[in-house]
Amino acid sequence: MNDLEPVQRPERYLACRECDGLQRLPQLAPGQRARCPRCGARLARNPVGGLDRLFALNVTALLLLVLANAFPFMMMEMQGRLQSTTLIGASAALYQAGMGELAVAVLIATVVGPALIVVSMLYVLTGLRFGWRAPLLRTVLTWISHLVPWSMLDVFMLGVLVAFVKLEGMAEVVIGPALYAFLALILVSAASLSAFEPRLLWEKLAREKL
Amino acid sequence: MQRARDFGMTSCHTCELLLRVPSHRHTHCPRCGAKVHVRKRNSIGATWAFLLAAMLMYLPANLLPVMTTVYLGSGQPDTIMSGVIYLFINGEWPLALIVFVASILIPLLKMIALTYLLISVQRRSSFQHRQRARLYRITELVGRWSMVDIFVVALLVALVQVGSIASVYPGAGARAFAAVVILTMLAVMSFDPRLIWDEKKETGDRNG
Repeated sequence: MNDLEPVQRPERYLACRECDGLQRLPQLAPGQRARCPRCGARLARNPVGGLDRLFALNVTALLLLVLANAFPFMMMEMQGRLQSTTLIGASAALYQAGMGELAVAVLIATVVGPALIVVSMLYVLTGLRFGWRAPLLRTVLTWISHLVPWSMLDVFMLGVLVAFVKLEGMAEVVIGPALYAFLALILVSAASLSAFEPRLLWEKLAREKL
Repeated sequence: MQRARDFGMTSCHTCELLLRVPSHRHTHCPRCGAKVHVRKRNSIGATWAFLLAAMLMYLPANLLPVMTTVYLGSGQPDTIMSGVIYLFINGEWPLALIVFVASILIPLLKMIALTYLLISVQRRSSFQHRQRARLYRITELVGRWSMVDIFVVALLVALVQVGSIASVYPGAGARAFAAVVILTMLAVMSFDPRLIWDEKKETGDRNG
């Protein structure tokens, strides 16, 4: 590369976020992704369907999120007594048992985190798609990436499986309707995250002067 | 391959715009407004701090009971390990293996990996950059799965509340265990993987 070009035309270049290797911004067809030739980190991707698909996935996720939270996802019968729990119920039980800080961690991982991500995505995408100069658009887009690692629905699902096996030995355990919404939500969230390429959203945001 | 730093430039960590950033100073990204430094600030110190705190919590996390099951009046405390053994002797060995890996092995390996990465960066090692980069990436990816045991405790506490017959209470170990998971996640986030490559001697591979 020309030794001055990256300085003069920075928009044509990209530095790998994991090794700082400077490279030309790859031109990707929809669905393609590029890896850094030096360190192997994901460099860039061009998700199929663009913003429309991301928007659709998050609308779906919002509906599933409501369903997953509205109904119990696990019920247990022991000595004729039926006990059930919702997503929020799991955190509430920890709180009532005197473990407030643990309850907060579980609440963030299972309810607040996933909900904030979906709502923030919809907020940002509405702004971008309809050219609406939404307040705090930049702040909201920034925090989505920070929230992602703390949303742990997939891990929670594994926890449901383990708890199911442990309880099966001592009681009758029934899967509630919310669990299906929950499973679908995990798949939709995964699809949404793989369609989420922040750099493209920032570029669009700058292009449209929002 | 040349580094952005060699051009006095850095990618904004939020929006990835390539910017001119004076070394040892910061600038504000014109596109997203984030504060941009050439490298994460105090990366090594902060990572060590979170890592040492996680190591301290690892002991109570494994020694103290994460929950106590009271069944017909008699209480049985469970640690992470006894939970794994329970699954194993009940014939649920695939699940026992998953929980063992997620709850015991991953936090331990994660702390070892971070210690190694920190020491190698501090000694300015130029050994196996690509492998160390991959080690970091894996560490970042698997960390959250350790939270599974906390969720199991939350679920059992929520469901097993059948008055005097059977009840499950969370134990102090759960608190320490969640702290280990959160602290190691913060340690991974504080670490700047670009430090691994900063000492790399470029030996004629200017292949852009």
